[in-house]
Amino acid sequence: MRIYETAVKKPITTILIFVGVVIFGLFSLRYLPIDLYPEIDPPMVTVFTFYQGASAADIETNVTRPLEDNLNTVNNLKKLSSVSRDNVSLLTLEFEWGSNLDEATNDIRDVLGRIEAFLPDGVDKPILFKFSTSMIPIMMLSATAEESYPALTKILDEAIVNPLNRIEGVGAVSLSGGPKREIQVNVDPFKLDAYNISVEQLGNFIRQENLNLPGGVLDIGSHTYPIRVEGEYKSSDELGRLIVGSFNGRTVRLSDVATVKDTIAKITMDERTNGRTGARIIIQKQSGGNSVKIAEEVNKVLPQLKRSLPSDVQIEMIFDTSEFIQNSINSLAMTILYAGIFVVLVVLFFLGRWRATFIIILTIPVSLIVSFIYLYVTGNTLNIISLSSLSIAIGMVVDDAIVVLENITSHIEKGASPREAAIYGTNEVGLAVVATTLTVVAVFFPLTMVQGLSGIMFRQLGMIVTLVVVVSTIAALTLTPMLASQMMRRQPPRKTGIIKVIFDGIDRFLTGLDNFYESTLAMAVRRRFLVLFVSIGIFIGSIFLLPMVGVEFFPPADNGRIEAKVELQMGLGLETTKVTARKIEQIFLEKYPEVEVISTSAGSADQGNIFASFSDNGSHIISLTMRLSSATERNRSIYEIGDMMRADLSLIPEIEDFRVDPGGSGGGMGSGAATVEVIISGFDLDVTGRLADEMAETMTNMAGLRDVEISRDKSNVEYQLVLDREKMALHGLNTGLVANALRNRMHGLTAAQFREDGEEYDIVVRYDEVFRESLDNVEGILIPNNQGLFIRLSEVGTLKEFFSPPSIERENRQRIVRVTASLFNASMTDVVRDVRAAFDRMDVPVGVGMDIGGTVEEQQESFADILLLLLLVIILVYIVMASQFESFRSPFIIMLTLPFAFTGVFLMLFITGHTLNLISLIGSVMLVGIVVKNGIVLVDYINLMRDRGLALVQAVIVAGRSRLRPVLMTTLTTALAMIPLAMGIGEGSEIWQPMGISIIGGLMFSTMITLVLIPVVYTLFGAGRMKREKKRLQMMEEEI
Amino acid sequence: MKAVFIAYNQALTEKIEFILDRMSIRGFTRWNQVQGRGSHTGEPHMGTHTWPAMNETILTIVPDEKVNELMDKLRHLDSKTEMQGLRAYVWSVEDAI
Repeated sequence: MRIYETAVKKPITTILIFVGVVIFGLFSLRYLPIDLYPEIDPPMVTVFTFYQGASAADIETNVTRPLEDNLNTVNNLKKLSSVSRDNVSLLTLEFEWGSNLDEATNDIRDVLGRIEAFLPDGVDKPILFKFSTSMIPIMMLSATAEESYPALTKILDEAIVNPLNRIEGVGAVSLSGGPKREIQVNVDPFKLDAYNISVEQLGNFIRQENLNLPGGVLDIGSHTYPIRVEGEYKSSDELGRLIVGSFNGRTVRLSDVATVKDTIAKITMDERTNGRTGARIIIQKQSGGNSVKIAEEVNKVLPQLKRSLPSDVQIEMIFDTSEFIQNSINSLAMTILYAGIFVVLVVLFFLGRWRATFIIILTIPVSLIVSFIYLYVTGNTLNIISLSSLSIAIGMVVDDAIVVLENITSHIEKGASPREAAIYGTNEVGLAVVATTLTVVAVFFPLTMVQGLSGIMFRQLGMIVTLVVVVSTIAALTLTPMLASQMMRRQPPRKTGIIKVIFDGIDRFLTGLDNFYESTLAMAVRRRFLVLFVSIGIFIGSIFLLPMVGVEFFPPADNGRIEAKVELQMGLGLETTKVTARKIEQIFLEKYPEVEVISTSAGSADQGNIFASFSDNGSHIISLTMRLSSATERNRSIYEIGDMMRADLSLIPEIEDFRVDPGGSGGGMGSGAATVEVIISGFDLDVTGRLADEMAETMTNMAGLRDVEISRDKSNVEYQLVLDREKMALHGLNTGLVANALRNRMHGLTAAQFREDGEEYDIVVRYDEVFRESLDNVEGILIPNNQGLFIRLSEVGTLKEFFSPPSIERENRQRIVRVTASLFNASMTDVVRDVRAAFDRMDVPVGVGMDIGGTVEEQQESFADILLLLLLVIILVYIVMASQFESFRSPFIIMLTLPFAFTGVFLMLFITGHTLNLISLIGSVMLVGIVVKNGIVLVDYINLMRDRGLALVQAVIVAGRSRLRPVLMTTLTTALAMIPLAMGIGEGSEIWQPMGISIIGGLMFSTMITLVLIPVVYTLFGAGRMKREKKRLQMMEEEI
Repeated sequence: MKAVFIAYNQALTEKIEFILDRMSIRGFTRWNQVQGRGSHTGEPHMGTHTWPAMNETILTIVPDEKVNELMDKLRHLDSKTEMQGLRAYVWSVEDAI
């Protein structure tokens, strides 16, 4: 018994199976985590190696190069780049997307183990570091305070950070930029000299006095008592009274030679939010955590936590990714709802029957819900990709049910009983339904095999659409005939009333349309060559549209975030930098009311911080993060505002360099602007530096580029203490002693820890600030030697000014300099051409090369992948169709629609002003599977008419007339379901806009052409069929 | 009106159908995939591993004047491919609706 026969005969089993599937699907939906994108871990591993005291050049030769030479052999390695800076070597190994990083890290560890012995002594053990999407902060809060500022860190730590850390799914909550308490012992070197005490001695005294030690046990009588010394400072005031020596019989206290301050540490980084001093609280999620749920929880407990804070401490949200996710998900859910409504209207319009409409609509939830089961079972999340896959699929899932039900209805109208009509009606179209589904699967399944970044994005899309469409076919072959046999009755004539007027009107309109199409077709078949040439002309004409439709990689999204980085003159102090930062804040807040929160940090993070090694750091750098009102509430996009900000920044004279990143640089994938990267490789640092400068100059002058930057830092001015070894030996000193002495006086000596309420604070001894401000101060430093004599620093060495070598970057074992720029309103291909031309004009010595990277590289790879996919899909669809028709000719005729689908895409993109990008290209690939469906329905029916003995032209016209309605219906349901997507309503959905636009354009245009061109071409090929038939008859004649 | 019963190897299907078409005989009833064997010579057509061939039969009711021509044509076809097996029998039709 065939599947539809079983279904019709066992209605209860059938309905319960589907009910079961729906229940399981809803159950899965309840447990599905919500996220913005599918989890994507960038395939990168970083190796840090610290080598204290080595310069960038030393690091390059002694650490980076040996590491590179050996790590180069790791499997699947795509790119190996490195940066050598003072003290640290940073290697980044980039792998192919989708490679197994665990295996890769194991390989890397093996290699490191092998070569560790060959690295110089004193090199620290290399540290491996793996990126993951869960490291991207999901929320950032800012805390501002006035009077409570000095204690802010402690307050936040107790009141906010710890409670937030307890929320399930929160990976880490960290605090940055808050003030740190420090007990400073600021020494007056002249007084110290006068009393013959050194800084080191002071440190020793402080350390010795700050001691708690158990002294053992004391047996008194029959009891045992512990005995201990409690010397630790109870309060910071004690320090000042500390006796540090005696001079001429008088005791010298610490307060005699230094001032003790219980204060906050000197801030190397100035954090402000909306201009107020404060700190940032960064919340990261655990891998696999549900961002939306965590954010919800945080937002729920935050008001409660705020109540325990002092009144001047204000907590504000800088950004909350979950808001964007939630809005995007909501707008996509609305999209799906609208699509459903459109489908209902179309079906009702064409069929005019409520019961039929209900049966068809029922396939939508049944098939869509199955995708939740898939997502749940494979451990995926509900995200933009999966939801938009659903809205793409929604117009297609009803197609099969429409075809089946239409046929069953016509059987019922002929007088068959609903039960028999259901079985025979399904049998007749069953094969065609399966075939159209197979063509769709032939398109979407290969999407799961796309490599690279786009592959990760489209894997879910491919799987979901394939699954949903297959399930919809199963439903169309079981649920639809079953329900039809139970619910459909022969249509009684409509009673008079408003409904009758409406549906009779629609009927008349549709019949008129049928008649019009029939006469058009009759005319077209008579003038077949004219039709053919006009069609070819249209297609060729559309190719000329292509240059006018720009090409870009990824459509930009508006996530309401702008980041900016401003560089002032190298070496500028924090105090000056802060002034400029306040100025920028003020300008931005005044000019752009859209900016809700502006959070600024100036200066550098603590040295030795691993994150600090990743980015440029320095007291002259200001970075700004701005949160804008949501995209729907403002008129200017982040890109427009970003542009105006660039103009503002270029007017401030003290700014040397700046970049504005609308959308943020690292936040969401593809949300930032596309970048062009010119990589200049060559060994000579001076030559490549000069070329990079020239390149940057030309690129700045190019109209399509913004934010030109050179990756290599400008040379730093630094003072080096050049020591004379002979003189040092004479005075009983050595380099170590001198260097340490210098560090203790300038940077400070952490003498001990002051404990209070379970927290520890550093006690730092150093020269008072006024004695750390000139070269004379340094040269005047007195260093104690082994005999206890004090030697002046100027005796053993001199201070000299140097330009320190810049950091050295390498890629694939070659020294490189990168000049990056972001693209603005220009076609990537044009810019690349201009850049290449500019490089050719330069004076380039032998051994220096140039390469283009950045998004361009990725774009070319992805585009090549997609074009290959397109080819594969076309071949697959041809194979599927050829096997269905058992003919080479019929699928060829059907495939003639494809060029016009692309014509429609170009035309629609041109009209709407969108570009040809990754998303619209994927839309075009999908079109291959969607547009051939119409052709299949049409050609199949013409073949049928021919087999039934109709003359060629007549068969074409009769088939065309009878298939017009199903073709229009399936086309309209698919196209109208895309409209909400194409309109791009709501946040985040604009990413999918080009896809919706290209599918609608391609589908509509190709359907119009299909309806006329395919019958015409069929008649052209039909002559061949007649000839062969004649030959067959002749042969038969001879044989009998 | 005569009834003509034709039993033949299914390999001949196309040719038999062509003959009927040529003679404008529209109506027939056909059984396909039937088993059978000849009374004297020829291989049995049993659809088994031993005798894999299968027969097909047609029962067609034709006007008296067409019977001879049909039988001639069938005889001719049989003579060309004797090993395939083709038999036809004619009898009278007494009544019809």
